[in-house]
Amino acid sequence: MRRYRLAAVAVLGMAVVLLGVLFVGNINGNLVYFLTPDEALAQRADFADDRRFQIGGLVQQDSAESTPDGLRFIVVSGTEPGAAAVPVAYEGSPAQLFRPGIGVVLEGSWNGETFDADTMIVKHDENYRAPDADPTPAPGSAP
Amino acid sequence: MRPLSRHLSTVAVLAMATGLAVALTAPPDQLQGNLQRLMYVHVPAAWLAYLSFAITFGASVGWLWKRKARLDRLAAASAEVGVFFTGLTIVLGSVWGKPVWGVWWTWDPRLVTTALMFFVYLGYLALRRATLDPTVRARRAAVFGVLAFGQVPVVHMSVIWWRALHQPPTVLRPGDPSIDHWMLAALVLNVLAFTAVYAVLLRSRIRLAADEEALAAAQDAATADLAGAAVTAPDYGRRTEPDV
Repeated sequence: MRRYRLAAVAVLGMAVVLLGVLFVGNINGNLVYFLTPDEALAQRADFADDRRFQIGGLVQQDSAESTPDGLRFIVVSGTEPGAAAVPVAYEGSPAQLFRPGIGVVLEGSWNGETFDADTMIVKHDENYRAPDADPTPAPGSAP
Repeated sequence: MRPLSRHLSTVAVLAMATGLAVALTAPPDQLQGNLQRLMYVHVPAAWLAYLSFAITFGASVGWLWKRKARLDRLAAASAEVGVFFTGLTIVLGSVWGKPVWGVWWTWDPRLVTTALMFFVYLGYLALRRATLDPTVRARRAAVFGVLAFGQVPVVHMSVIWWRALHQPPTVLRPGDPSIDHWMLAALVLNVLAFTAVYAVLLRSRIRLAADEEALAAAQDAATADLAGAAVTAPDYGRRTEPDV
């Protein structure tokens, strides 16, 4: 019984220390799920051209154009003018909900001034609204 | 027996049928279309997982205080149902995530903390299986049940505390829910239906645990009888009733 209690306390203590180091220390900043475009630009020197990481931001209005193997668009930190912007070359087919203004998380690496992405995750927000009277069909509403 | 508890299963089935009907007739989301309907099962499953673990927490505190076997059974049953609902949340979230996000799984804080919660409560169930003595088991499980609940608020707040792909709370947050009111009504109805299912599962599990304990006690008694037949009790000259 005493030995069990000792083991339990030791394991619990180790778990607490580990979690504390992970969450408070945030080793290498790897716990951050994605960098925003302004952070990515500020830390450009830390990320060599081959180092993979994730960028998350909004797709700038009217910036998306198709390329033979994917899309080119600009991902911005916010909608206000002058927000940090990163040009993205995405290889692959866009996610179903992809549209200007929506949030995306892209995985890839720097290629000069451009971010070469091969994985795109669309980030939707917490607002749910019924369709307007305006009859633009919502994606996924048709089979 | 009160009428409600006798008809609990019927109530649960009817509530689930109504919930399903309302979920399928509520307006589709402007952006996600019909895919958003997965919310009506994913969110209730997640909330019921929270509720299950909260009841395990409450029953564990109660056991440590009152030492009643009933509370230990309640804690165990609720944790088991909670693990089921957590698993259901992850599966339904995955099914929703694939078409909307584009991935089944990603290392997002909300997803990771939910998976962690799933495994920690599996650990709770494993701990119960690994301890034979009922009192020791109840005490260890109660301590585990109290400590493990600490992560439930972390799961809920993970989308606010850390940068996440998963959207922040729509309803369980300060302020007006950012959801169409028809959709909210459908969601609330489904939460009630899931709660009825939870009550049915919890009750069956508690009854099963009570029956198992009665069976174990009866088997112990039977073994005691066997030994009693082979080894006669010393006679101190006092007439006792013959054993039945």
